[in-house]
Amino acid sequence: MNETCISIRHLSVFYGKSVALKDISLSIPGRQITAIIGPSGCGKTTLLRSINRLIESTDETRVSGEILVDGQNIMDRRLDVTALRKKIGLLAQKPSPLPMSIYDNVAYGPRIHGERDRKALDRTVQDCLQTVSLWDEVKHRLRAPASRLSVGQQQRLCLARSLAVRPEILLCDEPTSALDPVSSQTIEKKLVELKKDYTIVIVTHNIHQAIRLADYVIHLYLGELVEHGPANEVFEHPKEERTRAYINGTFLADIKFDKELDLKGTKCPYNFVYAKLALDDLAEGNILRIIVDDPTAVTELPRGMEADGYEVLNSNQLNKTDWEIVIRK
Amino acid sequence: MEKGLSRLIGRRWADLAATRLMFVATVFVASVAVFIGIGLLLKSWPILEARPLSELLFSSVWCPSRGEFGFYPFIMGTLWVTGLAGIIALPLSLLSALYLAEYAPNKVRALVKPALDLLAGIPSVVYGIWGILALSLGGISIGFNVLAGGIVLAIMVIPVVTSVSEEVFRTVPRDIKEASLAVGATRWETAKHVVMRASLPGVAAAVVLGFSRAFGETMAVLMVVGNVARAPSSVMDPAYPLTALIANNYGEMMSVPLYDSALLLAALVLLVMVLVFNVAARLALARVQRRWA
Repeated sequence: MNETCISIRHLSVFYGKSVALKDISLSIPGRQITAIIGPSGCGKTTLLRSINRLIESTDETRVSGEILVDGQNIMDRRLDVTALRKKIGLLAQKPSPLPMSIYDNVAYGPRIHGERDRKALDRTVQDCLQTVSLWDEVKHRLRAPASRLSVGQQQRLCLARSLAVRPEILLCDEPTSALDPVSSQTIEKKLVELKKDYTIVIVTHNIHQAIRLADYVIHLYLGELVEHGPANEVFEHPKEERTRAYINGTFLADIKFDKELDLKGTKCPYNFVYAKLALDDLAEGNILRIIVDDPTAVTELPRGMEADGYEVLNSNQLNKTDWEIVIRK
Repeated sequence: MEKGLSRLIGRRWADLAATRLMFVATVFVASVAVFIGIGLLLKSWPILEARPLSELLFSSVWCPSRGEFGFYPFIMGTLWVTGLAGIIALPLSLLSALYLAEYAPNKVRALVKPALDLLAGIPSVVYGIWGILALSLGGISIGFNVLAGGIVLAIMVIPVVTSVSEEVFRTVPRDIKEASLAVGATRWETAKHVVMRASLPGVAAAVVLGFSRAFGETMAVLMVVGNVARAPSSVMDPAYPLTALIANNYGEMMSVPLYDSALLLAALVLLVMVLVFNVAARLALARVQRRWA
């Protein structure tokens, strides 16, 4: 199941005179979610767009090296790019419905590839819309313009459009960055569901999203490959100092809490019990932030949480008396 | 305190004055169209009273000295020449605009765009002379007819329509083009299904702009079109568009009764034709838009 699906060898990409990617070599496992992380402008999107050769549409791009998809070098000039892109779907950052109806958006790909049979198209459209949980919302207005859908629905429609040509690989370029939290969650859930059938590569600047979704992680910095490996290894024991710094830095800067609890004035072990009760109400992977002012709690509470199998992400003194402790279920 | 107050009053007064001034300017600009329409109607009223409208529009006999004013040959002349120009110019303009916007490297675009703007700025009499020398007499010697007029007119319209459509094509978001490419569409399929569709309103505006100009273009056309007052039945026949009729005759033979009024009616008919074309294009667009939006 987890055989290598995409392998990249000595890939370098130049935009005019500037280098976007420097000699990248790595393998992306099949039927897993691989997250490409790194700060803005580090080449995440370039790497992603190399895989379906969409970087060619930018003027003055030069590429060297190889990318093997299913053992075939896609940088080969003789390769049929349309066949490659049929095999590799793309979910863009901003929902980009085509200027046509909901139905035609999903049927667009199959029609391009020669499907004319009305019944087959109907079935594909329904299947794909059901896969992304959009069918029930739109089945009565398939002929309505796609632009009338909400942004979250549009992004699901775009996912359905990608799936309609039955790809093997799905490339996602920060697919939730333009969405509200609920829509983001829906997309993430869909991606997790889809990984049993698809190899998914997702670019994200949201480290928590990477932690939630990724099985495999690639960390890029200024066009260089810093580190890559299975997600738990990279996140828990990064080999590179730069990866550790990036993960921690992002954590403190833009952490998103699922629940916050003010436990000032409570003593041990009551604050521990309250925190445990709060965690019981949360879903797996959710993040709880608590504030305590009991000095004993600062050392004992994280220890107790770790012992009970929770992950303490951070514990941090806010002011003279108060401490912040961040726990993940 | 006193100073602050007077400054506040001054600013508010300037704001009010600017608003009023802009309103007056807008009213003036808009009323020009209305006044021209009313002026033409008043001036052509004598002939409209003297002759039934159906005779004026559909009679083929043009003999002012005998009091017969049939505009049919001239209306058909305008329609033939403009129609032919459309048939030639539209595909050329749209394809080259698409090429410039979607395919051409930046360097090519940087060369071609100024050339187009230059073409658009050439005075029409120069096009007329070029038409006589290259098309009618020398060059390919096709004579003075609808074909020569259509070609010259097409060449005059192409730069405008190409330039504006290219701008419109380039406003199509990159995202949706890439969405199409990413499912395996070729560049042509993307251009055809996505770029053209997304830019339809803008392109329609470009076409309407170009052809409103073509309807009224006078100089270049009258130099090559032959000016024979008979409705053409093929592109090799000469024609006599409304514009040429007015330009050739206004100020002459004014002693002939109703002649002056007839020429102004020709202008009014031309105005109405352009108006109908504009409105029809807008309605057609709105219809298509409702289906896609």
